[in-house]
Amino acid sequence: MSNIDPKVLRHKVENIGTLPTVPGVLKRLSGIIEKPRITLVEISAFISNDPALTTKILKMVNSAIYGFPGRIASVSHATMLLGLNVIKGLLLGVSVFELMQKTMNGLYEHSLACAIASRVIAQKKGLKEPEEISVAGLLHDIGKVILMLEFQTEYEAAMNEAQTKGISIFEAEKNQFNATHANVGSWLAEKWRFPRSLIEVIEFHHRPALAKNAPLETAIVHMADILVRARGFGFAGENYVPEVNPAAFELLKLSAADIKDVLKELEENMESAEDIS
Amino acid sequence: MPKIPVAKLEPGMKLAKPVTAKNGMVMLGEGTELSETWIERIRDMDIASIFVEGPPVQALPKEEALANLETRFAKVDGKPYMNLIKKITKEHIEGLYE
Repeated sequence: MSNIDPKVLRHKVENIGTLPTVPGVLKRLSGIIEKPRITLVEISAFISNDPALTTKILKMVNSAIYGFPGRIASVSHATMLLGLNVIKGLLLGVSVFELMQKTMNGLYEHSLACAIASRVIAQKKGLKEPEEISVAGLLHDIGKVILMLEFQTEYEAAMNEAQTKGISIFEAEKNQFNATHANVGSWLAEKWRFPRSLIEVIEFHHRPALAKNAPLETAIVHMADILVRARGFGFAGENYVPEVNPAAFELLKLSAADIKDVLKELEENMESAEDIS
Repeated sequence: MPKIPVAKLEPGMKLAKPVTAKNGMVMLGEGTELSETWIERIRDMDIASIFVEGPPVQALPKEEALANLETRFAKVDGKPYMNLIKKITKEHIEGLYE
């Protein structure tokens, strides 16, 4: 049984800048995006000053994940097109890529696939900002990265428990931490001043019925997560497909043909997505 | 479109995606038909593999892919909508091998 107090855990996570195991690049980024009145121009300058980051961001926005047909050649164009929240999310996404590879092999592939599936479902549902949902899909498991970094022993114990008992990693985390990656991710999203809808998606992607402000967005990422696991892309802590929440499934009203389309787009886009790093 | 290691490129293959330098600059455009010369240039570019046109190559044999699918769904058999999701996914995976 766990002896970690969720309040202490939350305090630690929120002070990510002082965690010894979190790499400098993420701390620096965290310092930038948590600013209350950061502007598009500042973010744009921050990216442009770092050639490696610039390349990663441009690769990402020109990739199949975002489905922009034309080529976006400059950071300023990308920021204008995508807006503050999407750019903040993308910055985090590309910055945690290497961390994901190091901490949980397959988690980045899982996250990319969820980003693609979330965008496709959002487009099918006619949502105005499919890129925002895509970012939510990309970041929904960010809590796992932080837990793995800071509590490696405990997290490995949770993964072992999930495997030996045949339970989900979500349940195993509860046993180990009295909290889950969904909680951790939502604390971070709040700290980083992401919009309420994104915080909710991250917090409730396993229990979409609890989402009050963004039930549709949450249901989309919940469903994307399930379809990606069903198809078997990547690895997110355990190998079993979780149960879909029936209310979320009914809210989305996806036909069999819709689901097929999502899988098809996943297939086409994941092939080229491994190139993004 | 399969991703082919640079060592296995052959003249006549067509690029399914542009070959780019590390900084993103396009060196050879999409649809370029590879000649001996281009292949030589690509070998000199320090790239591991590139995308060429053609049917995708599946990493797993079909039987194994379907067996894995069964394992993944083992815990949710009979739960609401899960058999439907499984059926669609199974058809999708089978379709990849046709």
